Formats: sequence, structure tokens, C-alpha cells
Amino acid sequence: MRQRLKYVVYPQTWAINADRWYQHFTKTVFVPELPALGEAAAPDGEAGGVDLPALRSLVCELLLQEYVCQRKKRPHLFRAIDQGPSPFLTHLMPALATCLASLNPILASSSADFKPEVNFYWMRGETVVPRGHRRGRIDPLRFQIDDKPHCQLRIPKQLSEFVPLDYVAPGEIPVISVLPDKLPLFKRQYDNKIFIGSKTADPCTYGHTQFHLLPDRLKRERLKKLGIADQVEVPYRANGIASLFAWTGAQAMYQGFWSEADVTRPFVSQAVVSDGRYFAFFCYQLNTLALTVDADKNNSRKNICWGTESKPLYEAIEGNDVKGFDNDVLLQLVKFLLNRPK
Amino acid sequence: MAGPGRLVYPLYQFGNPQIRIFRTNYFLTMVRPGVRLPEDTVQFRIPMVMTRLELKDYLENIYKVPVAAIRTRIQHGSRKQRDHRNRPIKKPDYKVAYVQLGAGQTFQFPDLFPERPEAIEPGSLEDIQRKFMKDEAQRQQDDPKRSGVPRWFGL
Repeated sequence: MRQRLKYVVYPQTWAINADRWYQHFTKTVFVPELPALGEAAAPDGEAGGVDLPALRSLVCELLLQEYVCQRKKRPHLFRAIDQGPSPFLTHLMPALATCLASLNPILASSSADFKPEVNFYWMRGETVVPRGHRRGRIDPLRFQIDDKPHCQLRIPKQLSEFVPLDYVAPGEIPVISVLPDKLPLFKRQYDNKIFIGSKTADPCTYGHTQFHLLPDRLKRERLKKLGIADQVEVPYRANGIASLFAWTGAQAMYQGFWSEADVTRPFVSQAVVSDGRYFAFFCYQLNTLALTVDADKNNSRKNICWGTESKPLYEAIEGNDVKGFDNDVLLQLVKFLLNRPK
Repeated sequence: MAGPGRLVYPLYQFGNPQIRIFRTNYFLTMVRPGVRLPEDTVQFRIPMVMTRLELKDYLENIYKVPVAAIRTRIQHGSRKQRDHRNRPIKKPDYKVAYVQLGAGQTFQFPDLFPERPEAIEPGSLEDIQRKFMKDEAQRQQDDPKRSGVPRWFGL
């Protein structure tokens, strides 16, 4: 197939109000709260079967290991996540998953990827070609996401849907009438790629949870110093929306759905976006892949992204002690991992 | 002119430094964007030597405008035109800055020359005057059949 110029969407971006643009590109409604994670997520009440103190000590141990014992030298500029947050997140996911595997049997058959590639390509909206030999023709806007989550869990069965397929989510999708160049996004020309992190022979073709680590450029202290304190939550939301759309969309494409053959069942995934200390949680339900102008004409379905604001897991690490550990964040993490198919 | 790149300070004399006010010698032009921009974005033409950090300082400290992000590019001036001796004419390059306003502010470039609907009543003095001027202008015109040959050559 002939490859044309396409906009490259970066999930982790410092563009101003990127989340609103990403909602428009992916036809996603953002709901600022988490959905009821179903009966499967909390099997025995809130924390019935979960030994929360044990998990808490496990997480604290991991934190101390990475932040106190392993600290060797001063990090380079903007590379502070390489020591501390990055290895902490690398070890957190498998540690929690092994602890919770007895409560959630799907975790035992899941497959974990570290720094996998997740790609998605889609078309949405159209424009008139401004110059060149095709000047004046109508051309669809093409988008490509090349995502690299920190780690992700894939499972062989689809997670249960949060809401039915035809549920109309409250809230509006922001309509953006200017070209994506102004976000700014840039056009490149290379192979269109759609990939969930493993090839089709792998039985684990459905997504469970992704973990994303925000780079140091998007640290909230830095944004506040630059005088854009109102943009602190934007990278979290933009990352959640873009990454989860790419992942669920790629999963749906693996099952044979695309814009002309819209999904017949919703696709569901979860994501945790973190900068090492602050954690934000996102759930995504892909209700439609018909995003091109032709397919979108009589399509009332919308994709839905539920998400929370970022909350700190702990206040500070002083000496050999983790101060102000937040149990709610850990509990939410546990709930995410306990989510399972029907 | 001492550009902002190389400031020339006066020679030191006894009693200096005196109290001075340094004012910027940058000149910005706010322009109407050629393609549509988001509501929070303003387009400027700025001096070549001005950087985006300086532009941010300028707008925030002089005009008290909250700035969220600035992007700049340099527009290549066309060298397509030729003069009568077939030498290429270079239009000067300029730097374009796109400023994204912070704090939820929006800006729309004002319509400087709004179209006024012309309402002249038929039969009024203005109407007669305009008709007269039109006729007179046509009478003054040269005969198109003479293809621009002056009347002096005519009979």
C-alpha cells in the first residue's frame, strides 16, 4: 500500500491543552471519575481478600530499594526517572501481579511486556490538499501513534465491559476546527503500523493494564516553574486517552474490526500513568472505530475514557522511611489488577 | 544601529554609571494569521535576533500577558522575482512567532477594515453626482481603437 504523510501523535506531550485535541482525534469523551469496576474487580468487598498491609509493606520495600539502596550518583539533566521511578515501576507491576494472582486467576495466564511497542494508525476528518500535484482534492487526515508504555499486561480473554455498547456518555467531545498542525503535530511518512505488543500467534491478544512513566520534562514542579500550573494534569489525561485508544484500537483491529466494519462488542483496557510519585488511573472503552468522515456520518457511538486526577502515592522518602503513604492509591492499583473477565 | 546582539556602551567617564532607563529596541508586529489558528494563539513577526525566551519576557513584563508556550520559525523570503535586468530580487526573511496565551485567555485578530454596505438612494444628490463622475470619466478616456496612440498624432 502506498504510504502517505501522516500526523505523528505523541502520547506523552507538553503541548498546551493536548488532551482536548486528543479527545477530538479519537472521538473520546472524558469522564472525570472511574467507572464501577464490576463485581469481578472487588471480589470480596473493598479489600476483603486482599492483605493490604502486606502489599503496602511490599511497595514500601520496593520504594526504599530503588530510592535509597540503589541510588548511586546524581542523574543527568532530565534523566532523573532512570534512577528511582523507572525501576520502581518495573518491579512494582510483577510484584503486585504475583501477589494478586491467587485472587485473580487471569493474572496467572497473563503475559507481561516491558517497554513494548504499541502502534496504531487511523484516519479522522478531512482537509483540502493545499499544494502539490493533488492540490484541491479532498484528503483524509491520517494519524499514527507510536507508543512505548513502560510495561503492560496482556490477557487471553477480554475484560468485561464497563457500560453497554450503545450507552451514550454524558459530556461533549471538544470540536476543533483548525488543522492538527497547530497543536502542533508534524507530518511524517513511514510504514503504517498497528501493533499491540505481540504478534497474532500470541494467545494473549487482549489488554489488561498499561503502566506509563511520564518523562522529567512533564514533572509538575517544572510546569509550575514555567508558569503553567493549570497544565499539570493535561499530560496525564493526554497520555491516558492517546495510549489507551491506540492499544484498544489495535486490539480491535487484531479481531478484524476497522473503520468500515465497526466493532460489534466494546474493547476495554486500563492504564496507570505515573511520574514515579503521582499516580493517575484511566479506564477506556472503545465503542467505535468508525472515525473517518464517511463512516462517522450516522454514528452516535463515542469512545469513553474514565480517569482520575493524579494523586501522590507517598509524601516523601526520608532515610529508611516512606512518609505519608497513601493507601487509597494502592487500593486503586489493586482494584485495577483484580479486574477480570466474566 | 546597535542591534540587541551587540550593545555598544558609552565609554566610562568619571561619575558613571548614571541613572539610565534601558528600553527595549525590539519591535514586534502582530499580524493577522494566514491560516486559521486556535483561539489562544497569537501570531507575531519579531526581529530575527529575538529568541522565544526574550519574547516571553517581553510580553510578560511589558504587556503583562500570560504566556503558556511560544514557537518560532523563520520564514524564507521569496527570491523568485526578477528585476528589469533579470537579477533575482530577494524579499527579506523574517521570524514568525506563535504565542499561546496562558490562563485560559483567548484572542481574535480584530477586523480592521469591515465591509460597509453602500446604501445610496436612487435619485438623491449622491447618486446624481456619482453618475456624472462616471460619465465624465468615460468621456475623458482615450478611444480604445487608437490603442494608446496620443491625440497629437490624430487629425
